[in-house]
Amino acid sequence: MAAGVAAWLPFARAAAIGWMPVASAPMPPPPREKRRGQDGLIILNVSGTRFQTWRNTLERYPDTLLGSTERDFFFHEETNEYFFDRDPDIFRHILNFYRTGKLHYPRHECISAYDEELAFFGIIPEIIGDCCYEEYKDRRRENTERIQDDEENENNKDLVLPELSFRESMWRAFENPHTSTMALVFYYVTGFFIAVSVMANVVETVPCSSGPNRAKEVSCGERYALAFFCLDTACVMIFTVEYLLRLIAAPSRYKFVKSVMSIIDVVAIMPYYIGLVMTDNEDVSGAFVTLRVFRVFRIFKFSRHSAGLRILGYTLKSCASELGFLLFSLTMAIIIFATVMFYAEKSSSASKFTSIPAAFWYTIVTMTTLGYGDMVPKTIMGKIFGSVCSLSGVLVIALPVPVIVSNFSRIYHQSQRAEKRRAQKKTRLARIRATKSGGANAYLQYKRNGMLADAEEEASKEAGKSLVCKINPTFETQHHHLLHCLEKTTNHEFVDEQTYETNCMEVSLTKPSMSRSSSLSSSPHGLSSCCTRRNKRKSFNVSNSNMVGGRRGSIQELSTIQITERPMSNSRSSLNAKFEETLPLNSEEQSYITAAVISMPTPPVTTPEGGDSASSPDFLQSNIVRVSAL
Amino acid sequence: MWETEGLQTLGIVVIVCASLKLLHLLGLISFSEDSVEDELELSAARHRPEALEQLEAQTRFSRKELQILYRGFKNECPSGVVNEDTFKEIYSQFFPQGDASTYAHFLFDAFDTDHNGSVSFEDFVMGLSILLRGTVQEKLNWAFNLYDINKDGYVTKEEMLDIIKSIYDMMGKCTYPTLKEETPRQHVEIFFQKMDKNRDGVVTIDEFIDCCQNDENIMKSMQLFENVI
Repeated sequence: MAAGVAAWLPFARAAAIGWMPVASAPMPPPPREKRRGQDGLIILNVSGTRFQTWRNTLERYPDTLLGSTERDFFFHEETNEYFFDRDPDIFRHILNFYRTGKLHYPRHECISAYDEELAFFGIIPEIIGDCCYEEYKDRRRENTERIQDDEENENNKDLVLPELSFRESMWRAFENPHTSTMALVFYYVTGFFIAVSVMANVVETVPCSSGPNRAKEVSCGERYALAFFCLDTACVMIFTVEYLLRLIAAPSRYKFVKSVMSIIDVVAIMPYYIGLVMTDNEDVSGAFVTLRVFRVFRIFKFSRHSAGLRILGYTLKSCASELGFLLFSLTMAIIIFATVMFYAEKSSSASKFTSIPAAFWYTIVTMTTLGYGDMVPKTIMGKIFGSVCSLSGVLVIALPVPVIVSNFSRIYHQSQRAEKRRAQKKTRLARIRATKSGGANAYLQYKRNGMLADAEEEASKEAGKSLVCKINPTFETQHHHLLHCLEKTTNHEFVDEQTYETNCMEVSLTKPSMSRSSSLSSSPHGLSSCCTRRNKRKSFNVSNSNMVGGRRGSIQELSTIQITERPMSNSRSSLNAKFEETLPLNSEEQSYITAAVISMPTPPVTTPEGGDSASSPDFLQSNIVRVSAL
Repeated sequence: MWETEGLQTLGIVVIVCASLKLLHLLGLISFSEDSVEDELELSAARHRPEALEQLEAQTRFSRKELQILYRGFKNECPSGVVNEDTFKEIYSQFFPQGDASTYAHFLFDAFDTDHNGSVSFEDFVMGLSILLRGTVQEKLNWAFNLYDINKDGYVTKEEMLDIIKSIYDMMGKCTYPTLKEETPRQHVEIFFQKMDKNRDGVVTIDEFIDCCQNDENIMKSMQLFENVI
């Protein structure tokens, strides 16, 4: 029941007195009235804009935030009002909902902002009034489509990593030629051969000059029959190979075979094979000639290469009903006018309008304003009706055309928007990545400059940066502290991308002898700088490379170096303590593997406290934890 | 020659057009969409109620109660008056299973004391004042007025039958026990048995009030809705 009608309930109950004298049975007792307190004004302060309403108005909908006791959480004692730190413009609509019982959707607002506000105030969007519901649903659908598109594109990008079988990679190469050079080459080659084939079909009918002793002109096709045949064979070879490859690579062969492009492919190459099979049989040569017409379908293969063609085809498909209507109305008009013209011209002698079907040709030519002039009316009535026919032809054709045009333009704009989004996506992703790495770098910077505000020798070198650190807002410092706690918890450290990537490369490229040097050199903020920091624990990016195959020697190297340079490192106390005790470390599981700042794969981080030597190499290799930064 | 042929064709065309025009004149077909006259929409009558003090004096509601009542009234009917259709619509919302329109019609007549076809806020509030704050006598008076459809001072069996039928209509079809055809009639008989003392087939206001005052149940139920506001 609408809120407004609820105001009439007291009236309806009072009017029930009219039933009392005629009642057959005694009345039930009235319900207990709970005195809910005086109906007072409530002040709702939304980001400075004060809204006021009666308490009863809000309590009409007790399952929303404002109508229930949940609003007490937002009560601000000093000013005796309810304060919400939300958008006042959208709040206006929400409050109107309480007042009138109808929720409206403002067209100029962003749909996601609106949804958020509704969710915050506990109002389900389904109660939006009929007047605004269509618009709301449309915008919502657009939004979800856009998000889905983005996700799909992202997923596609992420599939750059291997895990694609040969078949899948081939299919991807076919569908997205710009993904690899091979695919691009293939794309252009097929395009070239399509063009060559179509041109050959065209040129082969041109009359070439014949020899002086020949009587009639022969077409080039007949003169250079062998050359054209070879060319045709080559093209069909390529097309066949392409089709077979696509067939093999397609994820769903059945769907591929049913698709339009594959049918075009088949139709394009069939005539050749049929021609091969059929001998020069006189009976079927006529049919054979017809088949050659189908060779022109090769030109449709270009639609794989051109998005515009695809859009055109899609538009025609989606305007099928308008086109059908156009055809139907034209047919009706043609029949009517042809009949009229025939009877009008029947009297004139030597008239070309010998029958109504003959008059069809005249009508079509006139209605489409072609006017060949091979059939013209001679009688006055015929001329009158002929002019009416041509005028109405223009009208009938002009009617469905705008619909088709608007459809085309809508689809074209949609595809353009998708293109724009894809182009912007690169910049968007770059921006996101920049902020991410910026944040990670900020943290690493922060660490370098000393969380405990110990400005050591290097502070002088990085004096400027340390200043920056000091004037970090509280939020930043707390955030960094949190990241630090995480590092302590997992016994891993954050590093930047470059170091991580160099590690990864070293894993694949490194040699045992080189490991040490490379390891040393690979840590830019490495052992050299770490010695100056007492409480600093520098990222041992090295360990990865070293631990491959469990090279103990290098571990020893590391540990010795470490011990000599950082004897008092109190972080990773358990491990370092062991270092100090035993120099040759066969069994120390070193989780020096430093974490880079990307996504977290499934193997959880293990903080090895005392593992076996046997398991340590495996440990290390599996401990390539990638902790997401920020 | 061509004259005859041409003239024949011309004649046929003229005849066809003339017949179409004739049909159009006869109103059997219409060519253009906007041959329907645009109905003038009368702007809704606006009505402002009397001042709060006057209403306070005339009714038994307090100032605050009048304010609350008016706010609800104006919210639902921004123009300030309720016409019969709106009234029926509002009342029907409370009885979704049945058809409350007939009873709403009688109610509307009862509230519309000056019989001008619309219930203004004053009518509304006067009626409510009687129903909620009036004496038993006034309430019974009001009820009698409701039953007396033609307001001639007598309640006949037919009028009563109409009222009772409209009340049963509000129940709808799905009742237990199922409504039968003669239930309203029986109900009317019972009522007349009780009320019509002199058996003249009509119930007057005095008979009605007398009888009701002697009936305990009715007296008790009259007090039922005291605290609605």
